[in-house]
Amino acid sequence: MGYRSYLDRNPVIITAALTGGVQGKETVSNLPESPEEIAAAAEACERAGASILHLHARRPNGERAFSRERFQQVTDEVRDATEDMIIQHSTGGTAAPDELRAEPLMTNPAPEMASLDMGPLNRYERLTSENTRQLVKDLHSVMRERKIKPELEIFNGGHLNETLHILDEFETPPYVSLIFGGGTTTIPHPRNLINLVDNLPTNVEFNVLGFGPHQLPMTTTGLFLGGHLRVGMEDNAYYRRGEFAESNAQLVERAVRIASEVERPVADTSQAREILGL
Amino acid sequence: MANQCQYLEYRDQSDEQEYAEPRAYCTVVDRFVQPMRADICNCRYGLNPKIDCEFFLESEDAV
Repeated sequence: MGYRSYLDRNPVIITAALTGGVQGKETVSNLPESPEEIAAAAEACERAGASILHLHARRPNGERAFSRERFQQVTDEVRDATEDMIIQHSTGGTAAPDELRAEPLMTNPAPEMASLDMGPLNRYERLTSENTRQLVKDLHSVMRERKIKPELEIFNGGHLNETLHILDEFETPPYVSLIFGGGTTTIPHPRNLINLVDNLPTNVEFNVLGFGPHQLPMTTTGLFLGGHLRVGMEDNAYYRRGEFAESNAQLVERAVRIASEVERPVADTSQAREILGL
Repeated sequence: MANQCQYLEYRDQSDEQEYAEPRAYCTVVDRFVQPMRADICNCRYGLNPKIDCEFFLESEDAV
């Protein structure tokens, strides 16, 4: 891990975050929301070089859905449309009751991975996604029972503190996502990424994601530190300043090009499974 | 508590887009709202616009 990993040309795992749970077509007209749209985006991202799909579910009108049934529809469509992708369900859900947060873990088959938000974060002016320690423990427990690997989402340095306390519970290399943007996320600056990476134990694999204009610089910086990366319209609707992304796949294609230019080979799905211990 | 915000409407088109399913529209700010905010508008999960929505509160302050 770190610059040594970059020098060793270790493969980079690319995650595509297709939809998210915050914005919808009212903001980004080509954001995939329906199971069919998400599946089409997934197939395109697979062809572009992603090996993990980070999935959310929506109601027919684009509003958030947390039910096992809706996640089942999404994951079924995605599995039909793709050949061999690692499916990662979101368990995020600002304001949703704790019992709903585990629903995305209950599909059949279970997802190979699922997100686990490692602490509180603010939304809008008056909402906080609490993500209490107890909820983290409960979701992690369900993941262990169902053999789902958590993607530990670290929105700020405090969340890394929380994460360090549970890393010894893992039998396979822990996989953390370092998140940069506004609000309660880490201030997006390469220096802060380096600092977080310096505080990770050596057996941890890390993924970098940045919101909005920070997606490109932060994920690219992560490549030089041996990190994996996540791109997609959940985190960033733009290809460049003032120009919306044409698709999720367009963002994956760019990430693949950049990784190639800096000589980080892109992991195929079997390599990704090996790195993650799936 | 009402089961939805008094300022919520469902509309199926904007100036630029048409939607297959009507989407949440806030008449306070005159725009479609994000899906996460629509949960406040619909009073889901114990959310209450009178407490949780700054648009609602600004509107009430203005009255």
